[in-house]
Amino acid sequence: MRLALGWFLLSTLFVSGYALSSETFSESLKITPLPDGRVSTTFSFNTVLEGASPRDPCSLTSQDASQHYILFPLTLGQILREYAVTELHLSLNAGSWNYERWGYPEEKGVGTGAELWAWMGVDESKSVDDRWKGLRNALAGLFCASLGSLDEQRTTSPDRVFFPQGRLPKWSGNVAHQLRHASLPSEHVCTENLTPFLKLLPCKSLSGIASLLNPHRVFDADWHGMGVHVLWLGEAGVQVRLTFQSVMDPLRSSRNFLRNWSLQSLFGHSIERNCPAASSSAIHVTFSSTENPTLTPQPQTRSSTEVRYDVLNVEKPLDIAMQWRDEFKYPSIFKSSLPISVTRNLRGFTQASGKLSLILKNHRSTPQQLIYLETMPWFIQFYLHTLHARIEGHIRDDIISDISYNAAVAHSRPTTFQAVLRLPPNSVTHLTMDLDKAFLRYTEHPPDAQRGWDLPPAVLIPLNFDPNDNNSSHILNESRLGEPIYTSTLLVDVATPDFSMPYNVIIFTCSLVAFIFGSVFNLLTRKFVVLHLDPNRQNN
Amino acid sequence: MHLNRTWSTEVKNIAGTNAYGVLASPRGPRNEAIVISASWLSRTGEGDGTLNLRGVSTVLALARFLKNYSLWAKDLVFVVSDGYLDGMHAWLNVYHGAQLSSRYWLAGKKSTSDRTSTDLKAEPLELTSGVIWTALSIDYPGHSFSHLGLFFEGLNGRLPNQDLMNCVQRISRGTGGVPVTVYDHLEWQDPATSPSELSFLPSPLRHYPGVQDFAHRAKIIARHIGYQARGRASGVHGLYHKFRIDAITVFAIPATGPHGFHALGRIVESSLRTMNNLLERLHASFFFFIITAPDRFMKIGSYLPSAILISVAMMFRGLQCWVDARWHTDQPRSEKRDYSTWFSTKSRPVVPALAAMLLTHLLGAILFFASRSSWFLGDQKLYAPTFALAILTVPFALSQIPHPRDEITAPFWLVLKAFNLCFASTVISTITILNFSLAALLAVTLGFPLTLSGPSDSKLLSRLKCLFYVFLASAWLFLHQETREAIWNWEILSVWFAPFVCLIYTPLVLQAAIVCVLPCS
Repeated sequence: MRLALGWFLLSTLFVSGYALSSETFSESLKITPLPDGRVSTTFSFNTVLEGASPRDPCSLTSQDASQHYILFPLTLGQILREYAVTELHLSLNAGSWNYERWGYPEEKGVGTGAELWAWMGVDESKSVDDRWKGLRNALAGLFCASLGSLDEQRTTSPDRVFFPQGRLPKWSGNVAHQLRHASLPSEHVCTENLTPFLKLLPCKSLSGIASLLNPHRVFDADWHGMGVHVLWLGEAGVQVRLTFQSVMDPLRSSRNFLRNWSLQSLFGHSIERNCPAASSSAIHVTFSSTENPTLTPQPQTRSSTEVRYDVLNVEKPLDIAMQWRDEFKYPSIFKSSLPISVTRNLRGFTQASGKLSLILKNHRSTPQQLIYLETMPWFIQFYLHTLHARIEGHIRDDIISDISYNAAVAHSRPTTFQAVLRLPPNSVTHLTMDLDKAFLRYTEHPPDAQRGWDLPPAVLIPLNFDPNDNNSSHILNESRLGEPIYTSTLLVDVATPDFSMPYNVIIFTCSLVAFIFGSVFNLLTRKFVVLHLDPNRQNN
Repeated sequence: MHLNRTWSTEVKNIAGTNAYGVLASPRGPRNEAIVISASWLSRTGEGDGTLNLRGVSTVLALARFLKNYSLWAKDLVFVVSDGYLDGMHAWLNVYHGAQLSSRYWLAGKKSTSDRTSTDLKAEPLELTSGVIWTALSIDYPGHSFSHLGLFFEGLNGRLPNQDLMNCVQRISRGTGGVPVTVYDHLEWQDPATSPSELSFLPSPLRHYPGVQDFAHRAKIIARHIGYQARGRASGVHGLYHKFRIDAITVFAIPATGPHGFHALGRIVESSLRTMNNLLERLHASFFFFIITAPDRFMKIGSYLPSAILISVAMMFRGLQCWVDARWHTDQPRSEKRDYSTWFSTKSRPVVPALAAMLLTHLLGAILFFASRSSWFLGDQKLYAPTFALAILTVPFALSQIPHPRDEITAPFWLVLKAFNLCFASTVISTITILNFSLAALLAVTLGFPLTLSGPSDSKLLSRLKCLFYVFLASAWLFLHQETREAIWNWEILSVWFAPFVCLIYTPLVLQAAIVCVLPCS
């Protein structure tokens, strides 16, 4: 009887929750062989909470409505509601994306390490900064990442580069939205981040496409990264997109220099069963039209450069394989699909000063405008007057415009530097700027002080060419922004004390204290008694 | 990954092409790197033109092999540098964006003859990677080898972290099964042979193991001092140290066997894995050592005091001179113990003494600029004696200046000697930390002569003493090859041995010469 009642209650809860807002889950995988013989794979898991909208920050003081989700990840949903986050992007990447060889990634956020940015509505009762602090600590707990250290020393608000990707709601009282952005390049991404990531999926990694996410294989890739993207799609509802990208090298283990791959060889698994929660589940395989590899099993839909497998309606186990007849020939020249390429370096080898150097190449025969964003921790101090652009050895400072510069505040605020660059056609531009490395307090050094500090990647966004616009001071709008290009991170040596001596002293002192404490404690707590031995007994 | 870029440099009108490739580390942030390099010319005979063919092929073979592993946490940069030192020097400078100082530029502009043209031009690098922490230079000129020799001295007496050497040595013995030696000294391995340097000893003593052992160690230390004191690099690795990169050269000592490519490959691969595991720079204080045997070293505490003690003794002697100059002692005339009548004070001519010192250092500076000039290098046989004579005139000219000879002024030579000794002592103790071998050499060459300087009663003896000091100060002018190399090292590699000798050493000894010819009173 009790059991029946329990079932009844549970089912009503389920039905009523389902009735409140409908949820859809879809998954997809895109596999692309790359020109340098590697294979890029992109997993995308989409959950849409239909009809839902982000929490109005004005309602933060009152009790929130209870949340019932079936497919939508509850732990993430609670965090989003608690801190009234309208839009959230978190990416955790390992490695440096090679734009020259691999082109643009499927998912744009490929900066090395952790990157978190969020749009939040402004409210007096709970400031954006307080909620940002709560948000990053909550996400740190959720994803087992050191996002908690994305403190105000790393938080910036570069709103000329990071525009909202979804829509921002218009609440009553004309609530404005603010951006918070922070990146942590020294974050190492590994299994401990993938496990909580998989827990957010309705089928975990038990079935469907997600069953391919085998940590042994994906963390052996040449590049891998995961992302969490929360957007408001307007009437359609709130979307959570979980993504996982990796670049694998089938040639590394290939004996005969063939770049053949299969799901089994890439991930160590094939797809055994469907995810029952998924409304759609698709695998896309793309290839260039000049090559003609064989694909097994036969795909359901096919175009000249892409095939599609509908995983829900295909025979299981599904193990897609692509095979080439000829040996892979390493291309002598990589034809970049990007309009520009960039190399960023830190010159100089002293611990006091250095020079930031960017080499920008415009591959197109048209002038190219781009936004350049540089965020640096406070101990890297730019000398803005030394910012120079050189083309073929001649100083061309006129190509730099619209500089916006938020100077760093020592021990608290990072530097934000944004500028618009206008690269002449088919040119190589050298951009240099002198910098100072500040002297840190000894408590500010990280535990691995002699390694140096990782500096976050710069972001360059090409602007789409606008024939009507001849004036570079034109207001930047979202529609003109191309896809961002992240540079690699930098490692900087700052003056570091030799921590080994204090370390030894601490160890010695601790051992000494432990020895003394142990002995003294022993003496104090032990009871000393004199034992009288009866001589008569002894004789017996 | 295997994109090799070529670029050229002009050092002393040497144009060269370096080839290099970067193996990007999988999943790595691309901001740390390890360099594996081989120079085109081997270090045999300090770059006498022997080709480092197998060293270069080892680097190429490794590049192909190491690519098959996903364990690299740091980028691997493979460099085949042209020439002996010049190619790698240019590559490293361009990699680090080191500004070629105006000195190069001036030297290049001024010079008319080809020999001193030191205009260094290098194309920018197309491929870049991150911060280099460690580097390994492979030198394998023969067709096989019996031992691996480790070379470690860098420019300006810098040494790499000893942990790197210890790792390579352990790996070589354990993993590779190849015996290791210091430099290319092989006598160590064979107790039967006795070093030729011991031929003056009677036979039983010469074959006594303890004596032989001592001779071997002494030979290693002597070679070490030869490199370090002059600031010379003992191989291509020496160029890295300036950029805070720990680097050594692994030299495969040519022999008919038994080891070859495979053993070297295993050792280098294993060493690279060790370097790859570094989470931080090698930073514990093992930067001060004197290697005495392949597996023995002297720690800083056991060798540093030797030079420091001499410099402290010089300082005390200098202070004693200073005090002596101030106080004049009279014999007590009466039984009364009135100390004020025993001692009378004198005024010390500080300003003239300092002026004399300044003059000698100025002379040193002139000497330095003159010896860098193309006309000096063009005809050293003519100019070296001229310069020496010019130096000789200085003490005698100074001695002719009238000095006050009264009871209340201290003797000029004593004050000058006090300053001279104190300054020399300061220089030696400062140099001990920067370049111990140079400091030790200075302690020997300056310690006794400077302490013993002083005028004699006989004028002839004073002049002879002065002549000796002038010879000590200017003897290097007659070492033609040595001078030329030291100046080349300064112009190209910024080794400060040549300016140090001209600006510090020669003036200090010259001051002692002046002390000798000054009037005695």
